[in-house]
Amino acid sequence: MIIPLGYQETAVSPNLNSSKASRNVEAYWSFTALDTGESIVLPDGRCDVILRFNIHSTTPPVPIITGPATRAYTVLYKPGDSWLGVRLRPCHGSLLWGKDITDAADKVLRQEEALAVMPTLAKLHRGGLSETALASAVEQCSAFSQAYQINEKLMEALDLVHLSAGRLRIENLAELVGCSSRHLNRMFQMAVGLSVKTYGQLVQFHRALSLISNQNMPITTAALEAGYTDHAHLSRSFKRFGSFSPSKLPDGLSQPGVLS
Amino acid sequence: MKLGYTIIYVANVPDTVAFYERAFDLKRRFIHESNLYAEMETGNTALAFAGDETAEMSGLAIRPNRAESLAAGWEICLVCDDVESAYSRAVDEGCTPISKPAQKPWGQAVSYVRDINGCLVEIASPVSSSE
Repeated sequence: MIIPLGYQETAVSPNLNSSKASRNVEAYWSFTALDTGESIVLPDGRCDVILRFNIHSTTPPVPIITGPATRAYTVLYKPGDSWLGVRLRPCHGSLLWGKDITDAADKVLRQEEALAVMPTLAKLHRGGLSETALASAVEQCSAFSQAYQINEKLMEALDLVHLSAGRLRIENLAELVGCSSRHLNRMFQMAVGLSVKTYGQLVQFHRALSLISNQNMPITTAALEAGYTDHAHLSRSFKRFGSFSPSKLPDGLSQPGVLS
Repeated sequence: MKLGYTIIYVANVPDTVAFYERAFDLKRRFIHESNLYAEMETGNTALAFAGDETAEMSGLAIRPNRAESLAAGWEICLVCDDVESAYSRAVDEGCTPISKPAQKPWGQAVSYVRDINGCLVEIASPVSSSE
């Protein structure tokens, strides 16, 4: 996996830090381009709060809020282009989007639309941009400061999806956490913004990609280990979530720190 | 090559260790401070427990061990002289009884329970002792 030069990520462990934002945030990340190029950002089913700016320019940062991503997108950059971002935990998409989360997949809000969702981002100016400043803006946002009851069944189901790398069916997941499939799917739609099936397929895709790119596993072997029926099934998943073929992995893939 | 460890992935490592101490009278060797790994005092071949999340960290995908699920197709066999009382103790402490102690033709007393994570545990007498 080729992660572009200048990409940095700090995972947030909810056990080590008990501040309000830390329970909602999965990672802080930043990327500053040193040259001209492009990078494919793979979908991870999470929502991000992002500030985009150029370190050589005085133009104010552009606030961006994304819905849960299910499609790859290509980012073009030139020297000095920078992104500072917060990746939310998958179950916290609804903190940003409220009821609109059910229709937020792959949506992107910029500028005023993003500020309408998180007005505290307007306080961030070019001079004082940092992880800490962004964390503080996120924490001060009213939606995040409200007491937020995390549904334990949803959290447990998400853990099980990751543990099985998307291979447990919704009926199994529902049985394990003790609710109906219909209720589980509804909880996913209302909090993550994706169906259980789509979220599981994303996790499955990331594991298969990791087996091929990090372990150099032959595609057919990786397909079976990741739970696809065959090579063609894996290829369709790669086309859908990555827009590339498993035999021709593009350079410049930016894989979020959520491998499986 | 020799068998080094048997490592079982579980939802809660400290709870599982405490349960194995109560239900099967095994002793803990240590629990790592992360609470994600522990070994029992089982001689040269360690019986160990690892937190579910460590499987994901290692790039594995697993069917989780849960009491609600069909048991995985393997078992731990614990050997003792008094199978009847070991079985009763295990069940009293919360194991699910599966098969009560029975005398096998080859001279072994054999019983089965499932632990709090749904793993199959056989409690049996040594094969040679009854002959």
